[in-house]
Amino acid sequence: MTDALDSTGLQLNPAVGYTALVLVALSTVLIGIYGLRISRTTGDFYVASRTVRPWWNASAIGGEYLSAASFLGVAGLILISGVDALWFPIGYTAGYLMLLLFVAAPLRRSGAYTIPDFAQARLDSLLVRRVTSMLVVVVGWLYIVPQLHGAALTVRITTGLPSWVGPLAVVVVVSLSVVTGGMRSITFVQAFQYWLKLTALAVPVAFILFRLGADGREITAGGSAFTADLNTTADASLYGTISLVIALLFGTLGLPHVLVRFYTNPDGASARQTTLIVLGLLSVFYLFPTVYGVLGRIHTPELAAEGAADATVLLLPGRIFDGATGDVLSALVTAGAFAAFLSTTSGLVVSLAGVVSQEFFQGSVTGFRRAALLSALVPLIIALLTDSLALAGSVGSVFAFTASTICPLLLLGIWWRGLTDAGAVAGMLVGAVLCGGAIAATALLGPLAGDPSVWLAQPALWTVPAAFATMVLVSRATAGRRPASASRVLARLHTPEAR
Amino acid sequence: MTEDSSEAPRRVRVTAPRTAARATGGSFPVAREMAEQSEVGQLFVASLIRSQLRLALVVAGGFLVILIGIPVLLAVFPDINSVTILTVPIPWLLLGLGIYPLVIGCAVLYIRSASRNERRFQDLVDDD
Repeated sequence: MTDALDSTGLQLNPAVGYTALVLVALSTVLIGIYGLRISRTTGDFYVASRTVRPWWNASAIGGEYLSAASFLGVAGLILISGVDALWFPIGYTAGYLMLLLFVAAPLRRSGAYTIPDFAQARLDSLLVRRVTSMLVVVVGWLYIVPQLHGAALTVRITTGLPSWVGPLAVVVVVSLSVVTGGMRSITFVQAFQYWLKLTALAVPVAFILFRLGADGREITAGGSAFTADLNTTADASLYGTISLVIALLFGTLGLPHVLVRFYTNPDGASARQTTLIVLGLLSVFYLFPTVYGVLGRIHTPELAAEGAADATVLLLPGRIFDGATGDVLSALVTAGAFAAFLSTTSGLVVSLAGVVSQEFFQGSVTGFRRAALLSALVPLIIALLTDSLALAGSVGSVFAFTASTICPLLLLGIWWRGLTDAGAVAGMLVGAVLCGGAIAATALLGPLAGDPSVWLAQPALWTVPAAFATMVLVSRATAGRRPASASRVLARLHTPEAR
Repeated sequence: MTEDSSEAPRRVRVTAPRTAARATGGSFPVAREMAEQSEVGQLFVASLIRSQLRLALVVAGGFLVILIGIPVLLAVFPDINSVTILTVPIPWLLLGLGIYPLVIGCAVLYIRSASRNERRFQDLVDDD
């Protein structure tokens, strides 16, 4: 992993880091144990008995969704590329609007627990189920890796320990809480972690703004915070921006840990209510990384040059405040960051374990636990072997991948009775090969000069339509394979529950 | 989420979720079963799905036009970048703040209309 920070000596007081990490890990495990005590039935374990109230559920979704990319990555990207980076939080939020419009209520009514369950129920095909399972697992692993990179960065900066400690700590805490508690206790943990993350960003920002105001310093440095271009190589094109927005908007639809949360709602109407609350929670949250990014452009500009922009949120409070106040505020943001890695990783591990255990371990609880360990260990190995890129960027590629594979399956499966198993498999494979190929090419070739590189770096604008088109055309060509149950399943997805 | 301990169920051995999903998969009312089977009922369902899809597409389309319109507008009129309010340039305000109320507005609009479509469907089925 990169050692850019070691040379600069940008480190916090290790005692602060240890305190924050231990507190978050302890409270996570304790809340998990509390949840375990009231987790009694099978339904509790897998879907919290589908009785989670919208506010709890929405807080839990927010807690799970706001990952390292949101907590550290957005501010880092604003530091580097300014106004163009604001598209990331917009895409992350508006993805839930698309989820509300096209997926939330029907998916809740489907009665399935995972995306592969839904695919099998809708298309009556084991092959579709297998392909979907594999894609879900790949997406989940790819999404956990940047979380672990974020953990490596945070632990190194805050405690001075070597990089591998952070990912290992996250995987251990997550495995413990997932293996013991199941879905019900995780719901408590995630809901708590949303509010922890919000507090961890909001309180230091309030202190910083108050201090700058009291000192009579201009908060935006007379507007130069917005114009100064710290990295001239990252010049977003119109194509790049639109493609990114498409990836983020439609990628959210296919994220496994997001979807499993909708099964914990009592009915379709409350699934919609939950999504609305999530939109509010996300909108409020993203104001804060934006403020950190803008302040960082004035107070920590050297991070952009050293490839350590993702550390902006962690280091900013210490730059403004000395002594005890600085330590306490730094501890708070560190705790929030750690909560972000823990909650997103555990959400992903739970949903992956659900898929893997049904596919390979016949769905027993022992199988679920083994699958959870497997789901956490593979990304740990990948994370330890690879280098951290910009967090927001690497999460963006995962969104492009889900938008090109799982999103067409869900949208066409929910809204078009003409979808066939052959069409679904062909579309997902085309999307996976094109988008995966583009991501791999970008990673292997590195930043290229000229036009073709942006087409590969932001592939969603052409891979998503390609996947949809393949799915529709192949389904049309194989219309004879339409499952007989299509009309009945669609009716079930769209008709309201009893009043 | 608080639970009355006196009525909390006993702990059980957890089994495969597919069976759990079927067991707790929601109770479907008789009216709904009829709607799924009778020919008239199927027409009602098809029209409900069509109107829900039309609604979702209209809201999504409107939102996307505004969203994609912002970078297009900035590319066509780059002068907007130099207009500021309290030293904050207009694009920063639009993208950092302005989008979020729009997102929530779209969501509220959609939920209202979607629930109205479902109520209308249920009234039709109940009359049958």
